[in-house]
Amino acid sequence: MFFLHNLERRVTLHPSYFGRNMHELVTTKLVKDVEGTCAGDYYIIAIMDTFDLSEGRILPGSGLAEFTVGYRAVVWRPFKGEVIDAIVNTVNPHGFFAQAGPLSLFVSSHLMPDEIRYDASATPAQFTNDADIVIEHGTHVRVKIIGLRTEVGEMWAIGSINGDFLGCLQP
Amino acid sequence: MASSAPFQFAGDSDSDEDNFNPAPADLSDDENNATTKRAAVMTDRRESNPAVDNDIIDEEEDEERPSKSASKPTPDDEEEDENGDEEAEDGEDGKNGDDEEDEEEEDEEEEEDDEDEDVHRHRRKRRKDHRAAFFDIEAEVEDEDEAEDEEKEGEEIEDFIDNAHPDDIAESGRLDDDRRHRELDRRRELEASMDAEKQAEILRARYGKRAPARGYGEMAVVPKRLLLPSVDDPGIWAVRCKEGKERDVVFSIMRRIEERAGSKDEVPITAAFERGGPNSVMKGYIYVEARRQNDIMIALDGVLDVYPRTKMILVELKDMPDLLRVTKTPNLEPGAWVRLKKPAKHAGDLAQVLDVTENGLEARVRFIPRLDYGVRDEMAAAAGKRKRPGMPGPRPPQRLFSEVEARKRNPRQLQGNPQTNTWTYAGDDFENGFQVKDIKIQQLDVKNVNPTLEEVTKFASGSEDGTENLDLKALAASLKDGSTNVTYVPGDVIEVYQGEQRGVVGKAVNVQGDIVTLRVTEGELAGQTIEVPNKGLRKRFKAGDHVKVIGGSRFRDEVGMVVKIVDDRITLLTDQTNTEITVFSKDLREASDIGGQGSLGQYSLLDLVQLDPTTVGCIVKVDRESMVVLDQNGDTRQVMPSQIANKLPKRKLAVAADRNGSEIRLDDVVREYGGQQRQGKIIHIHRSFIFLHSHATTENAGVYVTRAGNVTTIAAKGGRSTNPNAGPDLSTMNPALKRNPAANSNGMQPPKTFGRDRALGQTISVRKGGYKGLMGIVKDTTDTHARVELHGKNKIVTVPKADLIFKDKVSGKTIDIYSRSGRGGFGAPGGGGYGDRNGSRTPMAGNGGERTPAWGAPKSVARTPAWGRGETSGSRTPAWGDGSRTVNPYDGSRTAYGDGNRTAYGGATSYAGGSRTPAWSSSAKTPAHDGFGHGSKTPAYGAGSSGSSNDPWGSKTPAYGASAPTPGASGPSDSWGYTPGPGPSGGGSSSSHHPYDAPTPGGAGFGAPTPGALNAPTPGGAYSAPTPAALSAPTPGAWQGGWGSAADSAPTPAAVGAPTPGASGIGGGIGGGGGGGGASGYYGAPTPAAYGGVPETPAAGGEMRNADDD
Repeated sequence: MFFLHNLERRVTLHPSYFGRNMHELVTTKLVKDVEGTCAGDYYIIAIMDTFDLSEGRILPGSGLAEFTVGYRAVVWRPFKGEVIDAIVNTVNPHGFFAQAGPLSLFVSSHLMPDEIRYDASATPAQFTNDADIVIEHGTHVRVKIIGLRTEVGEMWAIGSINGDFLGCLQP
Repeated sequence: MASSAPFQFAGDSDSDEDNFNPAPADLSDDENNATTKRAAVMTDRRESNPAVDNDIIDEEEDEERPSKSASKPTPDDEEEDENGDEEAEDGEDGKNGDDEEDEEEEDEEEEEDDEDEDVHRHRRKRRKDHRAAFFDIEAEVEDEDEAEDEEKEGEEIEDFIDNAHPDDIAESGRLDDDRRHRELDRRRELEASMDAEKQAEILRARYGKRAPARGYGEMAVVPKRLLLPSVDDPGIWAVRCKEGKERDVVFSIMRRIEERAGSKDEVPITAAFERGGPNSVMKGYIYVEARRQNDIMIALDGVLDVYPRTKMILVELKDMPDLLRVTKTPNLEPGAWVRLKKPAKHAGDLAQVLDVTENGLEARVRFIPRLDYGVRDEMAAAAGKRKRPGMPGPRPPQRLFSEVEARKRNPRQLQGNPQTNTWTYAGDDFENGFQVKDIKIQQLDVKNVNPTLEEVTKFASGSEDGTENLDLKALAASLKDGSTNVTYVPGDVIEVYQGEQRGVVGKAVNVQGDIVTLRVTEGELAGQTIEVPNKGLRKRFKAGDHVKVIGGSRFRDEVGMVVKIVDDRITLLTDQTNTEITVFSKDLREASDIGGQGSLGQYSLLDLVQLDPTTVGCIVKVDRESMVVLDQNGDTRQVMPSQIANKLPKRKLAVAADRNGSEIRLDDVVREYGGQQRQGKIIHIHRSFIFLHSHATTENAGVYVTRAGNVTTIAAKGGRSTNPNAGPDLSTMNPALKRNPAANSNGMQPPKTFGRDRALGQTISVRKGGYKGLMGIVKDTTDTHARVELHGKNKIVTVPKADLIFKDKVSGKTIDIYSRSGRGGFGAPGGGGYGDRNGSRTPMAGNGGERTPAWGAPKSVARTPAWGRGETSGSRTPAWGDGSRTVNPYDGSRTAYGDGNRTAYGGATSYAGGSRTPAWSSSAKTPAHDGFGHGSKTPAYGAGSSGSSNDPWGSKTPAYGASAPTPGASGPSDSWGYTPGPGPSGGGSSSSHHPYDAPTPGGAGFGAPTPGALNAPTPGGAYSAPTPAALSAPTPGAWQGGWGSAADSAPTPAAVGAPTPGASGIGGGIGGGGGGGGASGYYGAPTPAAYGGVPETPAAGGEMRNADDD
């Protein structure tokens, strides 16, 4: 789910950047540093704007200036139970890996409808029910997140396509 | 038992009856029985039991224990007792209470004894016989006496009034009176202390419960306190026996008892047991219960392996219960691991149980022998020392039995069958290299064996062909003691799956022993707290839960997410390896988010380790005691920490070159070239091997190994462009530098020359090295080297091209073949004719040309002065202007493209916006674009290829020259060379005409070439006219401005007007050039002319050119 989230971050600036447009630089650096990262249990998708740019403080020893910047960002936090669309990455006998934006998730073969089976003989390997559903590399799937794991700078989810309206998205 | 008597004297019949059943302390009987002097007591007893009737109770008793009535020789006793009780009940005479109690108990015991076996009774009789050698009848009566004795004993002991032995007391007649008095006193005491109701209550409380248990003998609940032995009970003696034979001895005693049962010499003991066992401190003893020590002597006389004549130890009263404490003995099963204690040589060694003998005393085990095949004996013998059996010195290492060795050393002691690989050597048996031996279980350590994987591995490695076919994982599993019980911890989510509360789900809030307190979270009971035994519980998880495996599973310590739940089996996907494992829910715990096994000792997942001097590997899986390593050859192997030489620290600075020669470092993302095209992040670089990690595969934890030369870079970490260790990348953020992004780039490489290397066939002299100064002819070239046939020696040598000085064949002057050829390969071909001209000029040009790239390289700073600098500057400098210009189209071209590059940069990078852009666009639009992209080259080429095209160049060059000419511009030229972008941008954006442009001019000048380039293409069109028009028209703003400014700033501001026209003129000229392009002659003419003119005054040159063009 996407949120607008107010966040704060400390940005350090190298002395060589000190000058008139320092604030601009700080913002630039903030954007560069923060956008697209995973902050614990959510991803920072984009920074809307910054505010509350503090005065810089020179860090003793290094000469870098530190600014505290408040900013508003669009963040995406996946939730347990959330249904998201993803693109299948890898298919193996245990299930398939898919990518939903920055989030990689795994759908175990246990978490698929019974009629969907792994077909190793197909190229590329796929999960199929021998009818309309074919899940292979590149397939768009709709997945319900049933478990989430967060690590430093990374998130990881387990999903299920066992349910109504879940699974392969018909193009 | 006797000790509890005081409360019982007032007991009612119930208590009597009850008492029969539980018969607590048998043993007191025996003592009583064993005591002498019963006859005397008997009379007392009789007196004390006035009512000798059979009443109902008797009958009941009889009913209850028919065997007793049948077998018991003294029914009267009991009757009396009971009567006594009744009396007590009635309150007629309570004095006997105690006695009766005692008696009852005794009786009960007797009964039991009787019931159990007649032996005891016989024994008692026998003992009596022993003592009094009376006949049976009297013996019957004795029981009464015994009872009385007991009574007395009890009284005495309890009251602590008279500690005289009952035997002594019994004899005296006055005893009776004393006793009565005492009892009376006591009773009064008691009565005073509590009223009857209370007593009754007490009694009921104490015995009431026993009623239902009637008939079940000892199963009734009797307070343990009452069961404890007292001094009245027989003593227990510890008798030495042969260690390990304890059980045998007891068995033989039992046999003896059976044999002698009913005979005259019954075994006079009440019990015998042993507390042997492997770990017992009580081994080497058997324990015999008897009234007297002498009885034991009799009983054990002649029994093997027991030594009653040695000092017997009387077990103290308080120690008796401990003797009978039940300890669970571990059960040895084949396959179990044990440690040896006994053969000193093997003490502590691991052994495997092959078999256990029937009596459970010995086990056949196999272990790894420690043989030295007599080496040490020999040594000892040699040293003239006697071998001491005490195992001095080091013991030989564990090694599998080697037949060869044995045969070599001590063939005589060896016998066996090679087929089955079983041998006997020096009295020991060996099978498959293992020593096999029957060892007493006492000499085995069966508990806390904790075999390490190494030890166990040795056992496995000996199997069959000697190859190691051991599944370490399975083994590791087998090593675990499965005794881990389910443990619940507050916070666990628990489901009740058995019993009334089945289906209830809750969270444990408290765990005490076997009782788990749940707070129900679901269903009707939600919110309530219930207590349930942990037997019917299991932990409950939901799909998606992050759990850790604990307990006995072989997957212990894995962490993963639950994907499937069937009953209490849970499938989870492990974090580490993305594999699915199934475990019991009891072995799981909710895990914190991070965690998991990933390390074993100092080694953790993905570490690089040294396996042997030539092999390294990356740990791809960590088990509990072993790990899987992917070595540099791509093989995986299972190793134990001990097999790892050391861990290689991560070398952050490690650098390798990929297939394209680009530098790759840790954390770069690379893709395999060919093969499976796997892509991954570099986690280790070891020599030429790189270990990659990818999330795309689960095999080997996503790690694979390949050679550095076999990958191509996809993304360097952080888009590395500079040394990451050089501190922050100032160029990316520093606004000052950002202004001129081009300054940071390396600029476009000079165009590659195609076709035949111009150096071929050239006369050269070598500038450097061993052949310095020698002249020769280039016979063959590569990109970097030339093979030169020397004039002086008949020899072909290889010399770096950079070290060659090209000479004119005829004049011997130094020439720049490239520059010339650039212009027109024709130039070169034109060869001779131009030769001179070029020749003279060329050198400079050459430099310029060569330089061009440098030039192109915006590091213009260099340029200006650099211009000044020999190489470029020479050319650049006004003089140069000529030169360069002159130099040729090539220069032009070069410039052009240098420009092109630069421009491109400028254009692209910085200023999409500027007026420039249009210019650009125009240029882009124009076919020149091509020329552009390829820059000047194309044109140059064109020129090269066709004489005609030269012209444009020529023209252009001049144009160029024009800008260049402005010597003053040289200053600016810096700037422009330097910041071409800005120049244009500035110009483009607003102030093309402005002084600011001064630099621009340079730029303009620079631009000039571009336009030239532009022109070239454009002109390509035959229409000289249109093109210029087009040029001036469309690009006008930009260009003209640019030009204008250029012109302006450059030579004569006043000329502004002129320049523009000039520019246009140039354009025209160019156009003309283009147009004239058709005619090489034309070209030839102007250019040279231009050149000729140009040298001194570029401006003039420019003009001239223009004029020409026009």
